[in-house]
Amino acid sequence: MSKQWSGVNRRDLLVGAGILGISAPLLAYSKTQTRQKAQVVIVGGGYGGVTTAKHLKKENPSLDVVLIEERPFFMSCPMSNHFLAGIMELTPLCFSYNILEVKYGVRVVQDKVLGVELDRKVVRTSSGYIAYDYLVLSPGIDYDVKDKPFYRDSIVYNPPAFKPGSEHIYLKRLIEEFEGGDIVITVPPPPYRCPPAPYERAALIASMIKRNNLKAHIYFIDANERPIINAEGFLSAYYDLYKDIATYVTSAQVRDIDVHKKVVKTSHGDFKYDIANIIPPMKASNLLQEAGILKRGQKWVEVNPFTFETSVKNVFVIGDASQSYLPKSGYAAHSEGKMVAKIINARIQGKEVKEEYLQMICYSMVSDKEAIMTETSFKYDTVSKRFIPTHREDNIRKETTAKRYEEWAKGLWRDLFG
Amino acid sequence: MDRRDFIITCGTVALASMLDANFYSNLLANQKDNMLKTYNKAILVKEDGTPLKEADIKPHVNYIFFYPYAATPCYLINLDQEIKPVEIKLKDGKSYTWPGGIGSKKSIVAYSAICAHQWSYPTKEYSFINYYPPDTPSETTKKAGIIQCCAHLALYDPKEGAKVIDGPAEVPLASILLQEEEGNIYAVGVLGVEQFTQFFDSYRAELRQRYGTTAKARELVEKCTVMEVDKYVQAVVRC
Repeated sequence: MSKQWSGVNRRDLLVGAGILGISAPLLAYSKTQTRQKAQVVIVGGGYGGVTTAKHLKKENPSLDVVLIEERPFFMSCPMSNHFLAGIMELTPLCFSYNILEVKYGVRVVQDKVLGVELDRKVVRTSSGYIAYDYLVLSPGIDYDVKDKPFYRDSIVYNPPAFKPGSEHIYLKRLIEEFEGGDIVITVPPPPYRCPPAPYERAALIASMIKRNNLKAHIYFIDANERPIINAEGFLSAYYDLYKDIATYVTSAQVRDIDVHKKVVKTSHGDFKYDIANIIPPMKASNLLQEAGILKRGQKWVEVNPFTFETSVKNVFVIGDASQSYLPKSGYAAHSEGKMVAKIINARIQGKEVKEEYLQMICYSMVSDKEAIMTETSFKYDTVSKRFIPTHREDNIRKETTAKRYEEWAKGLWRDLFG
Repeated sequence: MDRRDFIITCGTVALASMLDANFYSNLLANQKDNMLKTYNKAILVKEDGTPLKEADIKPHVNYIFFYPYAATPCYLINLDQEIKPVEIKLKDGKSYTWPGGIGSKKSIVAYSAICAHQWSYPTKEYSFINYYPPDTPSETTKKAGIIQCCAHLALYDPKEGAKVIDGPAEVPLASILLQEEEGNIYAVGVLGVEQFTQFFDSYRAELRQRYGTTAKARELVEKCTVMEVDKYVQAVVRC
């Protein structure tokens, strides 16, 4: 793997910045713009960003690909409910970004992105500027707490665990320390990251309560009328397996949270809790708003549904931050990453890519041994100019589906880091 | 001729002397884009060690054997109808001619059982990738006479050189070239996009556990024991 990064290695770049002052990184980087080699910068090392980086290099090893990610390690959100419920260790969910450098020559920069200057085609990080010819933004979600500040306090006390990392670890600790009492889990209105995740989490925590013979009750407070995916499978599992230890409250809006008294106030009454998993509404990462890609008043970035390109040429937004026909999930982000890698490599070679409709496969545990699943395919209706989904749900809970779920995740990880 | 072409050609020439001349020259004449790779000429045998005969291969039963390496699984299927040669065109523009079935009815085919999508493969514990006979359609996709991987629903057509029918796979399953010689059946090479590099990369720890060392898992075989998948695998996961 080359340590050279467009003629200047990272250490030289930082030293140069120190000596010459703030303009130094730009001066240093101006050298790169004289290079003829195309360069792709990817912001965000989740499912979408990692897939794009790997597949770009796999198809075109001579391409300069920079992946900027703040966290030192990748942690998978898919299967993280297994970890929370104590049926999987954390280790299988974690991978080192170094694999992308060593095996594929992706230049991984562990840094915080402060902004994107679309007019100058540079990404501003805490240690300098990185220019690009093609930009792929895959920064994921932020919690949408602006209009409801009570969620902001709650995040600290009641980790949502919808951003991989410390939130999961803290929530897991709360669950492990729980000896009995009341648990509140809330579901926001869609769209949010991974539609079945809250429903799966409720089922797995209920399953854990039964497994550990805890004297406890779950109040599962859903903003929706019913589970928004695999409703039949989830409802039958709740009824058959957990009706004595869980209450499912539907169409309920969270109005306030008192983190000190441990009360969630909703349109359907107040619920006291000993531990809570409050999942706030979500929106695209704030970074996209600051870059001017996410317009004021919008929560998600509108993209061309076939290419995931924004209104700015050669700037793509993939993963949960984009508003596409696909649901917000790691699997979708992975598929979008592959697609965008193909498009960029084709453009560099002056070729076009045939339009493809992506598919979705989604599994959910409903107990510690059984799972249900959904497969969704899409067709584009040229009259309404919309994608029409066809869902094939398997709502009969089975142990074999749980094994398929495990293989589904392992396959993704093999593709990301194998 | 670059180094890779040279090596492939050397392998091909070395094998040519061991193969039926007509079979080999016809096959080679129909190939371009270097999609054919030869390995050991390995005889297929039954579990008792005697050579497998055409009559032993029951129609629409999914059989497993390991070729070209000790750890790389393949499926052998008698599709009970003549399977004609097919021109396979890949998305990257490359192509190859898949020679069709062998045997008196030209109905016997073999493919690598490593899913070309994300390398799921049959282990002794589970197989997520399986053949669905015409009378046993998939519950999920409702399709029959296919090879389907239940992890991400990649679907392949065994009658058409394991072309991708539906799902996320980008390329067909690699084909195992079979040759019949005096009533015995041999595996002689692999045609199409091999997944062996990714397979050995992805399953290093698993293979070490099963075979002792990865070197043993990578040993090229000269004899392949054929058995029914349902007997080899503890839980055949169909969906």
